[in-house]
Amino acid sequence: MFRLTIEKSLNHLINANNIDLNHIDNKIVSFRVDEIDLTLFFLCLNSRIFVIDNQQNKKVDVSVTLTKSSFVAIFNGASLEELVENDEIEINGSVNTAQQLANLLSSSSIDIEELISQYAGDIVAHQIGRAFRQIKKASVGNNDSIINTIKDEINTVLIAPSRSKIFKGRA
Amino acid sequence: MAKTTHFGYKEVDVEKKQGLVKGVFDSVAGKYDLMNDVMSMGTHRLWKNYTIASSNVKEGDHVLDIAGGTGDLAIKFRKKVGPEGKVILSDINDSMLLEGRKNLLNHGVIDVDFVQANAESLPFEDNFFDCVSIAFGLRNVTHKDAALKQMHRVLKKGGTLLILEFSKVENKTLEKIYDLYSFNLIPKFGEFFANDEDSYQYLAESIRKHPNQETLKNMVLDAGFEFCEYHNLTGGIVALHKAIKA
Repeated sequence: MFRLTIEKSLNHLINANNIDLNHIDNKIVSFRVDEIDLTLFFLCLNSRIFVIDNQQNKKVDVSVTLTKSSFVAIFNGASLEELVENDEIEINGSVNTAQQLANLLSSSSIDIEELISQYAGDIVAHQIGRAFRQIKKASVGNNDSIINTIKDEINTVLIAPSRSKIFKGRA
Repeated sequence: MAKTTHFGYKEVDVEKKQGLVKGVFDSVAGKYDLMNDVMSMGTHRLWKNYTIASSNVKEGDHVLDIAGGTGDLAIKFRKKVGPEGKVILSDINDSMLLEGRKNLLNHGVIDVDFVQANAESLPFEDNFFDCVSIAFGLRNVTHKDAALKQMHRVLKKGGTLLILEFSKVENKTLEKIYDLYSFNLIPKFGEFFANDEDSYQYLAESIRKHPNQETLKNMVLDAGFEFCEYHNLTGGIVALHKAIKA
């Protein structure tokens, strides 16, 4: 159900917006999240995305290994290059191809925290997602990158948690 | 090639199976939908909805529903493909096609093509369909390997094959309950509702003779599909195999 939900959301997005998938046609991109033992294989064929388990072990064009928080961050619009620069993810293969897919994921309306929490039986994902959304919201409207905003936010949380946007209104 | 094959628990000549299966479906066609609702307590509708949700079918697609029977899937596919798309309902049995035509008309669906065809020799060009489905039909096909190769042939690259079929129950306790239900109650339902106990005895037996999930997956891969995975529904009473031609 996890994969079906993502597949349906992506294809709905592709069809509704007539998105051209030629640049990732016939490519397999994998996302591996070790913490929750989750691997998703995205296969692009016939102008649609299939989210498969690849038990047949077909050759993967791009493999992305990342933490749960980075995975959630991608769905919230984080740039792969910035995550790579910060050693938060590892990409084997074309970063450009992976970014094309990441752009689709971030444009979709998938509630990834909800999905992960169902998959992993874990409410931490909800908290990570909520925090990331707030950070992303905070980064809109100025020139700082999301990563810099995260760094600033971490500093704030460590130094003066009461001033943090994450905890604002929750005291 | 083997000279005999199974028809339920009976061994019959290969050439005779098709005619015997035709006899079963000629007999049950008029009560097919009613019996599906009775036997599955309506769950077959959820299984079919899951199949449609897994299909990845979009506007403009070409869809072939093999052994389409009374047209449950064809009606749903027709809505998904839109005016630019095409849906073909095929069945080897003319009685079932007739019921399908009536059912579609009752649903106000007129733009579905009906083709009487054997799944082992599909009368369609290569690489034409975006999706081929067969729901509760593969079990009755004599040469399943040949049929799967035909399905692969008519699908486009990136096309999806969906096989919804009874399968092997995973849980031992559920399996015992299911055996009791299908061998004792289903034939009685058949007698009561459709005045035909034998056909529903065949149904229960043919399910047990059908390949299990893993075996069918390997058959699909052997037919040329690059990817195949299955999803057990209702504890494996039914499985949906989804394969992709790459």
